[in-house]
Amino acid sequence: MTDETIGAIPAETIGTDPIYSLEELSTACGVQTAWVVELVEHGIIEPHGRSASEWRFSSLSVVRLAKAKRFDRDLGINPAGIALVLDLLGEIDRLRARLNVLKDPRVTSTDRPGEHGT
Amino acid sequence: MEFKDYYKLLGVERDATQDDIKKAYRQLARKFHPDINKEPGAEAKFKEIGEAYEALGDPEKRAAYDQLGKDWKAGQEFRPPPNWDAGFEYSGKPGGTDFSDFFSSIFGSARAERAGRAGRAHTTFHMRGEDHHATIVIDLHDALNGATRTITLRMPELDDDGHVLVRDKNLTVQIPKGVTEGQSIRLKGQGSPGMGDAPAGDLYLEIRFKPDSLYRVEGKNLYLDLPVAPWEAALGASVKMPTPLGPIMLKVPAGSANGRELRVRGRGIPASPPGDLYAVLKIVWPPATDEKARKFYEEMAKELAFDPRAGLGV
Repeated sequence: MTDETIGAIPAETIGTDPIYSLEELSTACGVQTAWVVELVEHGIIEPHGRSASEWRFSSLSVVRLAKAKRFDRDLGINPAGIALVLDLLGEIDRLRARLNVLKDPRVTSTDRPGEHGT
Repeated sequence: MEFKDYYKLLGVERDATQDDIKKAYRQLARKFHPDINKEPGAEAKFKEIGEAYEALGDPEKRAAYDQLGKDWKAGQEFRPPPNWDAGFEYSGKPGGTDFSDFFSSIFGSARAERAGRAGRAHTTFHMRGEDHHATIVIDLHDALNGATRTITLRMPELDDDGHVLVRDKNLTVQIPKGVTEGQSIRLKGQGSPGMGDAPAGDLYLEIRFKPDSLYRVEGKNLYLDLPVAPWEAALGASVKMPTPLGPIMLKVPAGSANGRELRVRGRGIPASPPGDLYAVLKIVWPPATDEKARKFYEEMAKELAFDPRAGLGV
């Protein structure tokens, strides 16, 4: 095992700019184009353009596809299931963030209003 | 090297059927999958059960593992006996590239398969390298101001002979200002090297925030609990509050209730467009511990016709 330090690398925020063709996206993620087409049919990733030859994907699609690939490889979930899991995970993330906002960090279990015995 | 009890890791008995093992693995894999379970230890746990299933899910490997005997305890110092695995043939291809030393000592490493793949690269074959994906946990302040952070990634790499090495790669990353939780950032050319003349893949990092002591985060909006005195809430007041861009005076309208959210536009995470900052009013009561304070409370009790339980119908 070796160590390697490189100078500071600028990171860019990823956006929805259409940049990859179907072939480029498949190569970047190491998957078959037919599987990418299936994910598009389930609305897991959404390309710009009408026909498969015109499709252009954003770097956001790369991130969603990579997640889909992990669900397929690790848990054996099919595209319909992946679409459902991603929707539900998004909902859980939103609810968690809301819950976190509503939580009062200064109220501890020994000092919660309404819990004092009479 | 430590002995690993793969049966214990999967929570099954040593005489479990292959179906039981598969079922136990699937349940644990769903529970600890790092894309689903955001607890800090989930990824390590997921890798452990993956390794356990790699060993026990394949009857040939399982038989070899059983051959070690059942007297080993997890964590015990382990050294494989010489020629212990003679007579076993693993037909399955090696799975992961970052299994433990214990696993590699029993079942060998992923050498053979990868060597074949690297061999093809010597032809005039050009292919862009694969992208890599990881998660990075940062402070909220890194997102508010931008920051340079060094991260360590474990990356499988091929050496000249086609052997797989897991390398710790340190990357110093400039985190752009204005990133939000769940968003990904891209580091161009930091994925797998390309084959032939093709470019390297990219590295994608998904952003997670550490909990902040002051602000809570929802998307690109921030929430801050702002303590106010009862008379400030009742009569209205101008109170000093912190924001990521420095303190401001906030106008609290007269007649504000506890929990009221007051928006400070554009003082959230500086995305484009920037998020907002919400001050959540928390009315704090002065304690009636000294004579003077007690007098005020007694006077209010006497002078104000105030029934807090008027709405309860009792």
